[in-house]
Amino acid sequence: MIKRYAAALLVSLFLVSCNSKPSLQKYFVENTENKNFIALDVSPTILNVDKTKLSSAQSDALKSFDKMNVLAFKLNDKNKAEFETERAKINLILKDEKYQQLMKFGSGKEGASVSFVGTDEHIEEFVFFANKKENGFAVVRILGKDMNPTSIMTMMSVLQQSKIDLEQLEPLQKLIK
Amino acid sequence: MAWMENKKNNLKQNVKMKTINNTIKMTSTFNTTKKLMLTLVFTLVSSTFFAQSIFDKFDGQEGVTSIIVNNKMFDLMSKVKMDASDKETQQYLSLIKKLDDLKVFTTKSARLENEMKAVADKYIKTAGLEELMRVSEDGRNIKILVKSGANDTQIKELFMFIEGAKNDETVLMSLKGNFDLNEIAVLTNKMKIPGGEDLKRATKGRK
Repeated sequence: MIKRYAAALLVSLFLVSCNSKPSLQKYFVENTENKNFIALDVSPTILNVDKTKLSSAQSDALKSFDKMNVLAFKLNDKNKAEFETERAKINLILKDEKYQQLMKFGSGKEGASVSFVGTDEHIEEFVFFANKKENGFAVVRILGKDMNPTSIMTMMSVLQQSKIDLEQLEPLQKLIK
Repeated sequence: MAWMENKKNNLKQNVKMKTINNTIKMTSTFNTTKKLMLTLVFTLVSSTFFAQSIFDKFDGQEGVTSIIVNNKMFDLMSKVKMDASDKETQQYLSLIKKLDDLKVFTTKSARLENEMKAVADKYIKTAGLEELMRVSEDGRNIKILVKSGANDTQIKELFMFIEGAKNDETVLMSLKGNFDLNEIAVLTNKMKIPGGEDLKRATKGRK
């Protein structure tokens, strides 16, 4: 009897924890309209590559990438407190087991981390999180289907060939200014 | 007949008492198991939190530059299908497979340097490290230590502490895995790790 209760309790705990778990997806949706943020969706067309010139490995790699979502917090004189809370929120989200951290760099004033979701050979999502005390922070999600380490390296070679269409990134320039 | 009824009742009561007793016992055993479970869970959770490393307090601290590369990164890097025809790349890939994690902390502040030194000294004493080499030149103090694995050249951890002179950086580095000391030279060639030059000398000295 007690076992059954314990099991039920465990299951309900799992359900609860699943539901209330904050995710980056939710965070992005919630803050797109927020005026402190700059949100940006980038499609693979930004790369502006001549598809006929790609090798089959390269075009396969390109296909595995879906889109890139960027959410940036622009720091000004008024939103310093919000900056801290929002940054803490993202740090908390990224602490979830789902986001497997690859590496991290930090120096107190600024920091950056790279994490991914999925398994080694089937990566669903990459998350870059960078923050700087003077400018704000940015979260970049790269979403795809079945990305794998090799396709990422191949992508790098595609990037070198590409003429990146900077118009799509224009909103981000505001952040630097 | 009445006494019989009485006895029956008594019996019933007895049984009831027994079951109550049993439930009490059970709840108490349940409590202890629960307590045990809880402590187990807590120790597990806390161990994942605290056992990470004593260096983690430097991570994200102002004045400290930290670089942390996790196991997963080495995993992914080793899975990249690279053109492995040239020898250096081969060595590089085989080494990466054997690495677990890399932590580097550097600072220029004197206060943090002292703190780092204290932590490093404590770590050296407790982690079972052997000294590989020690250099001091121009006010810089370099200590390189290793934790040996199965045989002499097999290493589980490479630990380096460079005490900087006045305007130099103090560097604390820990590289864990299960690798050969001689392989490290490949890594220092490919990546720019602080103190790489000193490391090169250390590995050469051992050959």
